[in-house]
Amino acid sequence: MSLYQLQKLIYHVNRDEAQRERYRQNPAEFIKGYDLTEQEAAAALNVDVRTLYTLGVHSLLLRPFTLLHKVSNEDYAKALAGLE
Amino acid sequence: MSIVFACAASHAPGITAWTEAAPKEQADKIIGSYHKLQAMLDATKPDALLAISVEHWANFFLNQMPTFCIGRADHYDGPVEEWLRISKSRIPGDGQLSAELLDGCLEAGFDLSFSDELLFDHATMLPIHFLTPRMDIPVVPLILNTLTPPMPSPKRCYALGRVLGETLEKHSKRIAIVATGGLSHWPGEAKHGKINIPFDKRFLDILTTGDRSQLAGYTHEEINVEAGSGGHEIRTWITLAGALPDWKATLLAYEPVAPWATGCGLVTFSRS
Repeated sequence: MSLYQLQKLIYHVNRDEAQRERYRQNPAEFIKGYDLTEQEAAAALNVDVRTLYTLGVHSLLLRPFTLLHKVSNEDYAKALAGLE
Repeated sequence: MSIVFACAASHAPGITAWTEAAPKEQADKIIGSYHKLQAMLDATKPDALLAISVEHWANFFLNQMPTFCIGRADHYDGPVEEWLRISKSRIPGDGQLSAELLDGCLEAGFDLSFSDELLFDHATMLPIHFLTPRMDIPVVPLILNTLTPPMPSPKRCYALGRVLGETLEKHSKRIAIVATGGLSHWPGEAKHGKINIPFDKRFLDILTTGDRSQLAGYTHEEINVEAGSGGHEIRTWITLAGALPDWKATLLAYEPVAPWATGCGLVTFSRS
């Protein structure tokens, strides 16, 4: 269920203005509200595009989440280079 | 009155969010076609706009994912996305029309979910930003799960469209319809940027010149492989095709816009 929790975190940040604000004020604290593995928590905190993608985060959760963090189209593509 | 206007159009977020990344000629063609659709829609003076749209994790998650959900609210807020370069607005709804459509569908054997609170993301917001820039035409959103399997089959979408069409043609109001999504694209995936032009052209060819009931024959697997995860959104177009079996469909524009990573199409429908 960990991927479920990771995706739920991103879903909340992407869609809900109040939750996004809480996340922005203190991402590390916000993330504690979700049952994540250490790897998942680190990937979310660092907005590690490649790891989040390979962990199975849905692309339509991941891309909007990275756009909130101002990841350009070019950098996003670079992060996924070589993956299928 | 009945259905007075119908169109189908892609909603690639790049159309507004990174417009200038696209070759000017392509951007002008797509945005110019949206403006043409707006003029056509305006001329028909609709009372309400049915938006056959899709879920993008704006409203639903894996704890609850309706196959078909109709919005029944008196207003909707959007867009969800800060980066879309569309101003936040409150869009009027038509709860009464939604309720009547819901009843019509239930009566005909389509058990839609309903929601009195939906947010609009680019899937709905981008088309209505162009079609009703004053945001003054009440919108009835019908959200399809084209996001995560299992999804409604194209056959089921086409059949739902038939019911929607029959219900709306008998309605006292003047109804416009927009189907939004597609065509081929792989948004946010490692294949992001791929566009399957032959798939898109065949789809548009069937829609505009062929036996439109063939659209109901697309399979999930075929769409998934050939048109990508974003290509599943053509189910909105197939739903609209089911609603307007005798209407003529005319292609306004098709552009495979690489910087928007989407095969972008705009089609208008008229009574034949």
